[in-house]
Amino acid sequence: MNNRLVIVDGVRTPFCRAGSELAALAADELGRIAVNALLTRTGLDPALIDEVIFGCVAQPMESANIARVIALRAGIPESVPAVTVHRNCASGFEAITTAYERLATDRGSVFVVGGTESMSQIPMLFKAATAQKFAALAKSKSTRAKLSALAAFRPADFEPRIGLKLGLADPVSGLNMGETAELLAREFAISRQEQDAFALRSHQRALAGHKKLEEEICAVYAAKTISRDNGPRSEQTLSILAGLRPVFDKHGTVTAGNSSQITDGAAALLVMGESRAHELGFKPLGVLIDYAYAGCDPARMGLGPVFAINKLENRSGLSVGQADIVEINEAFAAQVLAVQQRLPEPIPDEKLNVNGGAIALGHPVGTTGARLVLSALKELQRRDGRRALVSACVGGGQGAALWLERAQS
Amino acid sequence: MNNIRRDITEDGICVLTFDRPGSSANIFDRATLQELGAHIDQIGTARGLVVTSAKDSIFVAGADLHSIKTMSPADLGDFIRLGQDVFNKIAALRIPSVAAIHGAAVGGGFEIGLACDYRIATPDRATKLGLPETQLGIIPAWGGSTRLPRLIGVPKALEMILGGKTVGARHALKLGMINEVVSREYLLSAAFEWIGKGKHRNRLSHSAPVNAVLDKLVAPKARADVMKRTQGHYPAVLKALEVVIKGASDWRESESLARERAAVSELIGLDSTRNLLRLFFLQERAKKLRFTPRPISEIPALEGAAPAVLPGDEIGRAAVIGAGVMGSGIAQWLSARGVRTIVRDIDATRVGAGMANISKLYADSVKHRVFTSNEARAGFERVYPAPGEVSLRQSGLVIEAAVEKMAIKKTIFQRLDELTDEQAILATNTSALSITELASATRHPERVIGIHFFNPVHKMQLVEVVRGRQTAPAVIQQTLRFVQKIGKLPVLVKDSPGFLVNRILLPYMLEAGVLFEAGASIEEIDAAMVAFGMPMGPLRLIDEVGVDIAEDVAATLSMAFPERMRVPQVLSKLIAAGWLGKKSGKGFYLHEKGSKSEPRVNPEVEVFRSGKARFTPEELQRRMVLLMVNESARCLEEEIVEEPADIDFAMVMGTGFAPFRGGPLRYADQLGAPQVASQLSLLAEKIGPYFEPCALLKAINRRPFYED
Repeated sequence: MNNRLVIVDGVRTPFCRAGSELAALAADELGRIAVNALLTRTGLDPALIDEVIFGCVAQPMESANIARVIALRAGIPESVPAVTVHRNCASGFEAITTAYERLATDRGSVFVVGGTESMSQIPMLFKAATAQKFAALAKSKSTRAKLSALAAFRPADFEPRIGLKLGLADPVSGLNMGETAELLAREFAISRQEQDAFALRSHQRALAGHKKLEEEICAVYAAKTISRDNGPRSEQTLSILAGLRPVFDKHGTVTAGNSSQITDGAAALLVMGESRAHELGFKPLGVLIDYAYAGCDPARMGLGPVFAINKLENRSGLSVGQADIVEINEAFAAQVLAVQQRLPEPIPDEKLNVNGGAIALGHPVGTTGARLVLSALKELQRRDGRRALVSACVGGGQGAALWLERAQS
Repeated sequence: MNNIRRDITEDGICVLTFDRPGSSANIFDRATLQELGAHIDQIGTARGLVVTSAKDSIFVAGADLHSIKTMSPADLGDFIRLGQDVFNKIAALRIPSVAAIHGAAVGGGFEIGLACDYRIATPDRATKLGLPETQLGIIPAWGGSTRLPRLIGVPKALEMILGGKTVGARHALKLGMINEVVSREYLLSAAFEWIGKGKHRNRLSHSAPVNAVLDKLVAPKARADVMKRTQGHYPAVLKALEVVIKGASDWRESESLARERAAVSELIGLDSTRNLLRLFFLQERAKKLRFTPRPISEIPALEGAAPAVLPGDEIGRAAVIGAGVMGSGIAQWLSARGVRTIVRDIDATRVGAGMANISKLYADSVKHRVFTSNEARAGFERVYPAPGEVSLRQSGLVIEAAVEKMAIKKTIFQRLDELTDEQAILATNTSALSITELASATRHPERVIGIHFFNPVHKMQLVEVVRGRQTAPAVIQQTLRFVQKIGKLPVLVKDSPGFLVNRILLPYMLEAGVLFEAGASIEEIDAAMVAFGMPMGPLRLIDEVGVDIAEDVAATLSMAFPERMRVPQVLSKLIAAGWLGKKSGKGFYLHEKGSKSEPRVNPEVEVFRSGKARFTPEELQRRMVLLMVNESARCLEEEIVEEPADIDFAMVMGTGFAPFRGGPLRYADQLGAPQVASQLSLLAEKIGPYFEPCALLKAINRRPFYED
């Protein structure tokens, strides 16, 4: 294809643990801040944008089609359409690959894409039966009818359904995400020590790379200015990690410490047709060469990258060994280690998640894909490398993989 | 007979629609009032009356002030009576009446509504209701001072009338000024529904007996408040208070209306009222100010009738360089007026502080009902923070508000050459540095101009637009238009040290320091000027501005005018002690954080006093005020502006120079030319040569600055 999709530039908010510094900001606000900063950094005339495409897993009830809300609030003209995409943990990738498909089918050449998630603000819900009782109460007119409607409530009605917990469970296999990681740890004989060591590595790398990560961050100006990720822990040690209790299985190995953090954050990228970028005088960061999504057993969703990378190799002929940078999203240490076991070639340690991953930085589910692409391209530029492979497992049993390349300057 | 259209609906309701030909506004002049009266006389068998307007942003903008300006007191008396008679006819109708209001209904425009049984209004931003007469030195005299207290009660009516406030429809509904808020599309059908309800029954709900009691409680405090607020300089406010309170404790409307008439006849003859009216016209002039270069062909768009879109209108995006107090204040104002604005500062922590300031300004504006929370949020989202250099090619206007150092500003402007689109206007918010010199650092000096906002930006309406020697006429015109579009009032000045306002104000502030050193107390100095009519005394003002900032401006200006502007030592002594005024908690006064009460004098400053002289308030006023008069005349002499009115307007709007005195040159005219010159000469002899009157003032047979 002669008009390739280039990533011109990108920016993200700091990633902050759920319930911490960004907790008060809804997902649309986080997305707005990222797009606002992207427009400022790039100096793009927003009227040139053909579509805004954003990923978000848990859209706030008050911001249906959150991409449209973000676009309008960031000052993109009303005439520019916007769509929200959802492929669970790969929603940020989906936004980019959707732009690719729009470009390939000649439906635009300038896109603002990205992802946003406020895991702090995923609501608590009532059971359907409780909701019906509330509806009956609202409908009743007389005092007597109201009293009888009230009498129908039972204490159990007020047990909330925690949205976050529901979102992180797989309705088909009945397992939650942590349990799928436990399954992989058992089947691939991945020890607690191996997982904890991988988790520690993530923190150490994120801390060592924080100056580099700063380049991709835009400050959030709330009551105070927030400009740093708060997930990486400088005090993290193997013995602290070893002291944590398994969360999902009393005898298991997956702990809060060797899983990705639950986090708030948004990322935005400016992507264009290559010729359009040149026409507008932009020097892109990189090119999206090809990508693939693959399905797999929902109970072993953590292996998704293996299937996606293989599928992509069959399409593009590119193998893991040809990558200068590899990002595999750290949903769980066990899951990344299992993927490495199953891949035909090993990934050299100095190429994998070099500035830390989701165990340290966090995993705002809708945002992660866009963050991985941005981090990989920035690192490729720093290393003067050529290609990057970026991949993630997806709840529900899928994998996503993208090949990126430095843009020729 | 063509200012009002009369229609009768199928249901027999008479609809009178104000639609003044060839104008975007409706006003009450004699002809319109007579026409309205004739319509009411002919109302015949109609079963209801609706008054409304065909204009997009004005219901009726009140009485025609231009005609008032030229009326004799007798003519004015007739005019007021005519309005009262016509509105009384409406009030006396036996059929129900409704004012269906969209757009500004102020002064007489609201009073016609008060004469109706019901008032309904649209929620649009253009819709404003209120009685601003006291701001012009008069009082509501077409029944407003009589009927509003009966409608909403004395305390709320006093707040509206004495404050001269206007409010939006939703606020008006809460106050009880109107009966319903209705979308513009449904305004008439809703009015017909109100007609269906019949005459308003309890028009006297807030009538005499209740009010007689209330007055005993309300009146004394209101009177004390007014005196404190106005120093007795604004007789209209006191008059309004008196008319409202007497009227509210009296059953007879006609007596109260007579008091309204008498009050206006009395007030209109006062100098202060004339000055306030003039000020109103100067504001209207500033809103429409155009720069007409010669030859005029350079801006073809300005020939003939004013086109809908003027150069300057297209600027929808701007950038502010520097996120300090001024930079962030400007960015907040621009974003609130719909301009998408980048706030750039090389220092990321200053961007953070600037964004916090913008956020606070918006929060305050919601608290004060300037914006709804949704509008404030939308405004805040028009701000684009940039900690570091970014492309500015989308910005039609860049306003630099960095530190006041020429070298730094020059570096910034050289970079702007690279970062901006060639068509962009490059402006500086400098308060003292030369625009022409700064422009010389750029490739296109013709697009460099000064846009000098005053602090605090959201409160000060005046903006000095400063033309450098090479500034292109088209750039001047675009800038004037932009300033008007964001709701500020421009005064166009030539590039010269201190421009206009600071140059005239500075000698006054310096003299306050000199007088302090000579022996006058802080209280005496400030009280003298507050009594003169200034919003605050000069030493308090130095504290508010910041002693260091004041000294900085003073240093720049004393370099330009060394013979007459010398910086008193007390300023540098305060700075050395770390007493920088309000921001450091201490200056001439002690400023307690969060304290609502007036700050107390800082007793420690006494040690900086060397003299023991005593002064009367008149002496203090004379020395400080005449220096301003002298400097104003110099500015006129040097053609910094075109006419005396520019100076008076700028000083009142930019410094709060006693509005009722009309400005320093108007004040000089009131003193009389020989008086001013001889007093200055006397001071020059006694105190020092810096009082020497300028040539313009000294000229024998000098005519007054103003003809009228």
